[in-house]
Amino acid sequence: MASTHMLTAFDEELQYLTRRISEMGGLAEQMCSDAVRALVNSDSALAQKVISDDVILDGAEREIQEKAIITIARRQPVAADLREVVGSLRIAADLERVGDLGKNTAKRVIAVQGTGVPRKLARGLEHLSDLALVQLKDVLDVYVSRSAEKAEVIRLRDEEIDAMYTSLFRELLTYMMEDPRNITTCTHLLFCAKNIERIGDHATNIAETIYYMTTGAQLEGERPKDDSSNTVGAAGR
Amino acid sequence: MNNMVSLDKVAPQQTSEKAKIEIKNLNFYYGESKALKNITLSLPERSVTAFIGPSGCGKSTLLRVLNRIYELYPKQRAEGEVLVDGQNILDRNQDLNLLRTKVGMVFQKPTPFPMSIYENISFGIKLYETLSKSEMDERVEAALRRAALWNEVKDKLNASGLSLSGGQQQRLCIARTVAVKPEIILLDEPASALDPLSTAKIEELIDELRADYTIVIVTHNMQQAARVSRQTAFMYLGELVEFDETAKIFTSPREKRTQDYVTGRFG
Repeated sequence: MASTHMLTAFDEELQYLTRRISEMGGLAEQMCSDAVRALVNSDSALAQKVISDDVILDGAEREIQEKAIITIARRQPVAADLREVVGSLRIAADLERVGDLGKNTAKRVIAVQGTGVPRKLARGLEHLSDLALVQLKDVLDVYVSRSAEKAEVIRLRDEEIDAMYTSLFRELLTYMMEDPRNITTCTHLLFCAKNIERIGDHATNIAETIYYMTTGAQLEGERPKDDSSNTVGAAGR
Repeated sequence: MNNMVSLDKVAPQQTSEKAKIEIKNLNFYYGESKALKNITLSLPERSVTAFIGPSGCGKSTLLRVLNRIYELYPKQRAEGEVLVDGQNILDRNQDLNLLRTKVGMVFQKPTPFPMSIYENISFGIKLYETLSKSEMDERVEAALRRAALWNEVKDKLNASGLSLSGGQQQRLCIARTVAVKPEIILLDEPASALDPLSTAKIEELIDELRADYTIVIVTHNMQQAARVSRQTAFMYLGELVEFDETAKIFTSPREKRTQDYVTGRFG
């Protein structure tokens, strides 16, 4: 916010929301990166930490919600302030979901522990996760800078993650077809890949919310999608 | 940037609707000092328009031009055009009594006459019409019903208007205004001296009246403007800064000054 309110307490309430969102973002990012690391290194202690961190993230979302509702009741915010409060609620919900996806990935670490993750697949997952986490990190930076232009750029960049996910999907199918004993592990890894791809979608949602908070206008139209995994057949095409 | 809702496309409405009041290049002077600067604004028929802005911005002055009540004071003059149904009311030949039956006004402080509730209503009617006792009874009842006051006063129509509570007095003033069948109702801070419950009743009343009247309200209470009006004009230092749908003004105003004012970042 460029200028300040005549009511200092109102400014403080808005600043509180901004600070807590940034904290949530940092934690969600950490959880997802830990979850993928735990997966490729079969590190169940780290996976356990991710699972317990999710409780903190859920608590943060609840606190942001409560504070936002109280702010609406007490201040009756309008215009940019209203968009700020409503935006906080939406972003907190997205970040809470990101945490859930990290947690779900962490839970699968234990399931695939016996067999281990093939090196090639691990690299693919790491690459996908890098893309998604860069997307998440960048969108959190935009949240701080409030640049509508950058938010729009991030929204369009999700395409790359979708393409990577589709290619990983194909690869997992190939492994399963090669040896049915791979099916259990590969199915878990498929869910992990989907989880990571979803993180990118939430980052995109957040970018759209920031755009709305900053400009008051909604980004319209379908963003470009390159996730064609829903058309990949059993023949591996 | 063709995939976003362009702010420019959400231009002020009033394109298809019939304008009841058209203000064109209006300037207003208190002696030497200019209080309104080149205001151009068009208010649609049967709709509530709110004027908002900080003290001294000219919103009450603008309201007072609409029924030329400023003429009661020396050295105040308006230049430009104010068309009501296409007729320039600033014209020298405008019959002021006729104008004020067409354009009623309710003030900040309730101003009942020191007479009975019944006479408060019938007094104005008698100035323009000669009615039989039964016709007058009907008109008084209709006006009090319209102002949502009938049930509270029907058993004490001969009691003094001043014996009513503040909120009731204000509704009595609205009834008095409605009784002479105006087309436009000007409300100058009608609820600022009232408690929240009486305020809610006045707002409910405005909501009902807008089906039949063109209503212009000046208010310091931003939430009130947001609640009751369909379009809002934000004024500052005698200028019209922004005029748009109320929903737009309170979610994403175009002008930074409007944004600063409605969010409490002014001064």
